[in-house]
Amino acid sequence: MGMKLSLTGVSTAIALLLSNQAFAQTAEVMHYWTSGSEAAAIKVIADDVAKKGGTWKDSPVTGYEAARAAVLSRLAGGDAPTSMVVDLGEIKPLVEQGVLAPIDNIASTKGWQTFLPKLVVDKASVDGHLYAVPIDIGTANWMWYSTKVLDDVGVKPPATWDEFFAAADKIKAKGYIPLAFGGQAWQEALVFRSIMIATGGNKFYTDVYTKHDVDAAGGPLMVKSFETFGKLRGYVDDGNTNRNWNDATNMVITGKAAMQIMGDWAKGEFQAAKMTPGKEYGCELAPGTNGVLNIVSDTFVFPVGDKPEQVAARKLLVDVMIDPETQVAFNSIKGALPPRLDVNLKDADICTQKAAGLLKDPNALAPNAELSFSSETVGAIKDLVTQFWSNPSMTPADAAKQYADIVARN
Amino acid sequence: MFKKNLAAKLTLVPSTVVIAVCFYGTILWTLYISLTHSTMLPNYKFYGFSQYATLLSMPRWHTAFANMLIFGSLFIAGSLVIGTTLAALLDRNVKAEGLFRVFFLYPLSMSFVVTGLAWQWLLNPTTGIEALVRSLGWQDFSFNWLASPEKAIYAVSIAAIWQSSGLVMAIMLAGLRGIDGDIWKAAKIDGIPVWRSYISIVLPMLRPLVLTCVILLATAVVKSYDLVVAMTGGGPGISTDVPGKFVVDLLFQRANISTAAAAAILMLVTVICALSPYVYIELKRQKR
Repeated sequence: MGMKLSLTGVSTAIALLLSNQAFAQTAEVMHYWTSGSEAAAIKVIADDVAKKGGTWKDSPVTGYEAARAAVLSRLAGGDAPTSMVVDLGEIKPLVEQGVLAPIDNIASTKGWQTFLPKLVVDKASVDGHLYAVPIDIGTANWMWYSTKVLDDVGVKPPATWDEFFAAADKIKAKGYIPLAFGGQAWQEALVFRSIMIATGGNKFYTDVYTKHDVDAAGGPLMVKSFETFGKLRGYVDDGNTNRNWNDATNMVITGKAAMQIMGDWAKGEFQAAKMTPGKEYGCELAPGTNGVLNIVSDTFVFPVGDKPEQVAARKLLVDVMIDPETQVAFNSIKGALPPRLDVNLKDADICTQKAAGLLKDPNALAPNAELSFSSETVGAIKDLVTQFWSNPSMTPADAAKQYADIVARN
Repeated sequence: MFKKNLAAKLTLVPSTVVIAVCFYGTILWTLYISLTHSTMLPNYKFYGFSQYATLLSMPRWHTAFANMLIFGSLFIAGSLVIGTTLAALLDRNVKAEGLFRVFFLYPLSMSFVVTGLAWQWLLNPTTGIEALVRSLGWQDFSFNWLASPEKAIYAVSIAAIWQSSGLVMAIMLAGLRGIDGDIWKAAKIDGIPVWRSYISIVLPMLRPLVLTCVILLATAVVKSYDLVVAMTGGGPGISTDVPGKFVVDLLFQRANISTAAAAAILMLVTVICALSPYVYIELKRQKR
């Protein structure tokens, strides 16, 4: 009896071993998620891959730019990893270079049009073929504020820019810095995009960013956006030059400054400071942008290659990455939204809840800069916005004209 | 003839090959890429000189290039004057010379990133010198160079001079120690003041060392990237951009490697143009 049992045990073990053998793919994944919460988030995927019998080979590179350089040199050198993280906006140029493999022949991606936002599907596809698994959706147009400072001054979180300036005057009079601001080009461009949405709504924003409408880009709404942006110079402190975003967030955390306009990644800083949303700090969409999400998305893409083990490893990764539970677990740690619309988010914090509802509305989604223009144009816009910010003698009309020139060149 | 020093020649082969391939080879590759239309990945189809036209039409390139000239001349002149002065002072048999030497050479042991961050804090109006002086009671005191697009490049130059003066000091001090004592005696007998002896007699004798310093400092100017990134990030606006940062941004952020290559080639050409007459004159003088 005992003998028989153990024999069954052995044969089960052998069977398991064999089946594991058949699926023991090694998947090398390049990414740039090295900070505490990011690393914990990617581990969710790695663990799920291991659970399904695959071997996860982690190849992190610190810093988005460095990771990108590493990815490009690996591709150029013909030594591509199984998968890598790129921005949603980079898929098309990569496909055009012929380095990515389509994944729509993998069963678990069937029906992705129904469970992913249309904007994301459109950007992840080229010529009707899907090339990427979106893993998170970040929102750039958030306003974070210190409840303590706003209560002390006696103002509510502003919902429009008019309300913002009225509140900011009072905050300034009380001796606080109204806006925590990091004077780096990408942060300035991020705030400016929020102001564009507030000034002309999602229509104006998408006219410029999606339709590349040169007249809109140089029109009165753009001039007004630059006027509002320029007014902010009076509500930041002198030390904003080259300040990192998290140092600016820290000014809100410590109660030196009242508000910051920054993407949802700022939430991680508040969490690390053991603060609770809705209590010590608050989150609202940036003034005037209620109902619109300015989104970015990280996606996993898969370099070409048709060796059987590579194809099998690719399939395993796609199955895991697109799994609803993996997506929820990953994003609850990383602080972003899961791209899948058919997931349960009732345990998420109030900031995530606020954004999650909007994600289902296609008209609420405003694609971020990298999703809309070539990196060259994105860079040129950043240069323009940062020059305008640092040079008060540049007029809004002149800045709008230059903006239109950049869009025309794209 | 060939067999003579065969071992020595063989030993040199690997490093020669490495230099030929990794150094000159990549320069040629960069030159070729600058003549193509490559964006994210290299595309080897010949495209002509249009990348150079694009580059010269970019205001940011002009700012970066002008900054290299401003920063370069201030940095080289400043480091040479301060470093040589320090060396001359130390050469006058001061007490605790070793301590001063370490003191002035110390900044050099730090990377430009550390220097940049430290000076960023010092010059940041809300955390550094301005805040300190104001907290002492002078409320009108203003020292916000880093926040001013016109002055920020001078702030960067100061930080770089602080870092590199010690290097010039060490090289020049070594040179001064090699000056024959008889020369000093002769100058003394002729009644020449000490400062005059330095400027008219000793420094001209140290010309080769000045050349060494200028070349070392000039390479630091061309390489300048880390200091600017750490200190200003190229800002405020694009006011402290330098060609090195411009090239890296174009390569890795803007996926525009052929324009970046064109910029790199122009940097190389500038360096050759700037240094070759000087090196030529100096080498010719030394031969005589």
